[in-house]
Amino acid sequence: MHIADGILPAQMAIAGYAGTGLVTWYSLRKINQMANPQAQIPKASLLTAAFFVASWIHIPVPPTSVHLILNGLLGTVLGYFAFPAILIGLLFQTVMFQHGGLSTLGINAVMMGLPAIAAHHIFQLRHQFKSLPPWGLGLFGFLSGSLGMGLAVLIFFGLLVTHLAGGLDAQAETAAIVGLCLAHLPVIVLEGIFTALLVTFFSRVKPELLPSP
Amino acid sequence: MKLGLEQFAHLDSPIHRWAPTLKLIGLGTLIFAFSCVQTLMVLPGMIAITAGLFWLSHLPLGFWWQRLKLPGLFLIGVIIALPFLSGETPLFEWGFLRLYQEGIYTVALISVRFVCILTLGLILFGTAPFLKIISALRGLGLPPLLADMILLSYRYIYEIGDYFQSMKKAVKLRGFRSDRPNLKTLRTLSSLAGSLIIRSYEQSEQVYKAMLMRGYGQQHTAAKRDRFRIQDWTLFGMTTSSAIALLIANLLL
Repeated sequence: MHIADGILPAQMAIAGYAGTGLVTWYSLRKINQMANPQAQIPKASLLTAAFFVASWIHIPVPPTSVHLILNGLLGTVLGYFAFPAILIGLLFQTVMFQHGGLSTLGINAVMMGLPAIAAHHIFQLRHQFKSLPPWGLGLFGFLSGSLGMGLAVLIFFGLLVTHLAGGLDAQAETAAIVGLCLAHLPVIVLEGIFTALLVTFFSRVKPELLPSP
Repeated sequence: MKLGLEQFAHLDSPIHRWAPTLKLIGLGTLIFAFSCVQTLMVLPGMIAITAGLFWLSHLPLGFWWQRLKLPGLFLIGVIIALPFLSGETPLFEWGFLRLYQEGIYTVALISVRFVCILTLGLILFGTAPFLKIISALRGLGLPPLLADMILLSYRYIYEIGDYFQSMKKAVKLRGFRSDRPNLKTLRTLSSLAGSLIIRSYEQSEQVYKAMLMRGYGQQHTAAKRDRFRIQDWTLFGMTTSSAIALLIANLLL
């Protein structure tokens, strides 16, 4: 789910880079407010590489299989490091596999990175509850994973339909966006379940991976 | 695990010898000029510039084709659907299907822009070691945190990739079949991803300690300033003037 080179008009590509610059600046500002940001760099870098590799896992969805985006999971684990991590992951995908594109790197980063930050905030909401039932962590994991993927799908098809299909009227455009998003509902749910399973796995095996308030 | 990024970075060509900083700015400007093109008349010029630069780079044609195949598949959907969805002037009608003139123009624009930008990307990243490109980006103002993260991720991506392949083999040898769509499959795959992430996390703690021992964070080294030769400026002038010419032609034609 990447926007390839040449598909969107140049203004969109430039706006994407401007947006990425702004969100990167804000994320770096938040990161620099942490107690020891330098200590987090190797952790965030190796996890970026691990998430990049983990996104090669294919999940069976008959009659085919899909690979997960994991942007919601990145947000839950890395917090504000998720945006630079996604930007780097997308750069690697463009350079190594030609997925996405150099001119659309900015817009792809905004499309996947902003939902990741939203997922981080959703996951942090769990601290508002004094005592969570055993399934509570999984529920927040599911919400952040599916929201991360759901928002990215919405932005992706919103951009494609509004900028590619020039002959469609507003009603047909809305119907196309809703239809395409609904077709991706199984993948959105799958991404949520996968994130929930991983979050509960981390809480059992390595709880320090899940950010504290 | 090799992803072939630097497969041809050792060749000797004018593009390989081009200083990475000017190469980044020159080819980057050209990429954005290409994405601005909206006129069909400009497309032959774009193809000629791209072909000329590719010829100058001495990169094998097989490498280009191998890299184009997979992302090209994603574009096929757009190429098939767009002429029937976008536009107002119908060329042909078969029952409920209408082929639009504007849709065909858009497909031609998208396809040529896609292939030309992808080729420039291959020239940019295929003709210099990745570390040199990141160093050039650092010189152009890339924040140190991002540069460090890119370099560290790049350093460990192959190692983690190899570990992932052996984990996949191990679960297969234990009888796991990943094509069964059920919760057990999902749970096993999530444990596989989880183990990979936890292992990377633990390794990052050792990496950080090793980096501290070597003085990481004690002093910030300024990015090295490149010395540019006349050949670097010539190629830079050629690419930026081509970009400007394309933009003017796009406005006038």
